[in-house]
Amino acid sequence: MNPPIFIIIMLTVISGTMIVVTTSHWLLVWIGFEMNLLAIIPILMKKYNPRAMEAATKYFLTQAAASMILMMWIIINLLHSGQWTVLKDLNPMASIMMTTALAMKLGLAPFHFWVPEVTQGISMSSGLILLTWQKIAPLSILYQISSTINPNLILTMSILSVMIGGWGGLNQTQLRKIMAYSSIAHMGWMTAIMMYSPTMMILNLTIYIIMTLTTFMLFMHNSTTTTASLSQTWNKTPLITSLILVLMMSLGGLPPLSGFIPKWMIIQELTKNELIMMPTLLAMTALLNLYFYMRLTYTTALTMFPSNNSMKMKWRFECTKKMTFLPPLVVMSTMLLPLAPMLSILD
Amino acid sequence: MMTYIVFILSTVFVVSFVSFSSKPSPIYGGFGLLVAGGIGCGIVLNFGGSFLGLMVFLIYLGGMLVVFGYTTAMATEPYPEAWTSNKAVLAMFITGVLAELLTACYILKEDEVEVVFKFNGAGDWVIYDTGDSGFFSEEAMGIAALYSYGTWLVVVTGWSLLIGVLVIMEVTRGN
Repeated sequence: MNPPIFIIIMLTVISGTMIVVTTSHWLLVWIGFEMNLLAIIPILMKKYNPRAMEAATKYFLTQAAASMILMMWIIINLLHSGQWTVLKDLNPMASIMMTTALAMKLGLAPFHFWVPEVTQGISMSSGLILLTWQKIAPLSILYQISSTINPNLILTMSILSVMIGGWGGLNQTQLRKIMAYSSIAHMGWMTAIMMYSPTMMILNLTIYIIMTLTTFMLFMHNSTTTTASLSQTWNKTPLITSLILVLMMSLGGLPPLSGFIPKWMIIQELTKNELIMMPTLLAMTALLNLYFYMRLTYTTALTMFPSNNSMKMKWRFECTKKMTFLPPLVVMSTMLLPLAPMLSILD
Repeated sequence: MMTYIVFILSTVFVVSFVSFSSKPSPIYGGFGLLVAGGIGCGIVLNFGGSFLGLMVFLIYLGGMLVVFGYTTAMATEPYPEAWTSNKAVLAMFITGVLAELLTACYILKEDEVEVVFKFNGAGDWVIYDTGDSGFFSEEAMGIAALYSYGTWLVVVTGWSLLIGVLVIMEVTRGN
């Protein structure tokens, strides 16, 4: 894409999200969402093949429908409260509509169907922006209204999301679809804790964004999009092989890596609020996630995946992709656990 | 009838939306949009917003819909699909119109309708008196406020319009 146009469009994506996050007027929230949506469409369509067009269309349709429901909710809120300020005292019946609209934007179950298909149809870097930056705006609005959300609705959606993220990712070999189901599952964890401690949701979002950024960057470094291609990494870039191992374990939420911090904190907060079955279910269905991460680890770092002999003797070229900030990101996504006692500043 | 004018206009508004949502060819859909725009202008006029209603005609119908009509005319096909062309479009249209008529009759008959929020009969749509708007109309004051206190909103909307054009050009570039 033409560089000045690309800069302007990225600027609009960023400012759309910033408008949603920082505004105190509900109309500006809607405007920010629409700016974000409009500007990210050409980024999703960077490659001009029909798959990318279809993915961009699906994304646009679902997000536009969600924005419509959001707008209807905003007007109903205006009708009931008579003012446009973003506060957290919502009409409890109408907050269901708001939660539904934001769940459609996030890709929570049962509105998750667009996430794997859209993520698969677009390039790796566009998928990166889709799965990380686009989650910030809806979660910030959910953070602001978190005290008046209907608990039945949000907990149902979060348990369903973790389950669907786990079971849906099991049969996938395409890396982008695996990351999409991983995103659905992580969104489920985030919305589970939102009602009780929204700060933990922000913590989970931060660590999830760091880990997903790192994962996508490692995939982009090798230009791999399938498990089979990733399994040849030992031949191309052996360092990435061990990084994938550690990163997948971190995504799965295993101690002593930093992916464990959000899961630990969330389970702790949920049990403090006297929910027992729910964190048990969440932790057990997160094991499904761990299974397909471990499958990636196994094929990448622990075995020599079946391939023909010519693929075992590749030329080692120097990588020309600029992966800025990748080493600090890898460190942050694996070694943050000893800093967990710093979370006491949140109390 | 004048007391119920907003209610009637709203019903016909929804029916014209149904007429293009049932997805005939864009030329016929454009006609539905035209009618919807005109009726929207009428609804806004009934609430005292004379300037904005006429803006709808000028900018929306006279600007955007004309451009839409020309681009549709450039991309037209020899046998465009009308509402009675195939059963799918006709069925969608009839379903939409029927749903709207049933809702309208229900609102007129009952005193209170509670679907998502309470309608008080046709009370919200009925204008009993135009109200005392003081010396200045609220709508003109709102537009004035947009350009004085609401500079940020003007910047955001102007930027969004520019981005709309850039995005459309990027999307349709297609190489």
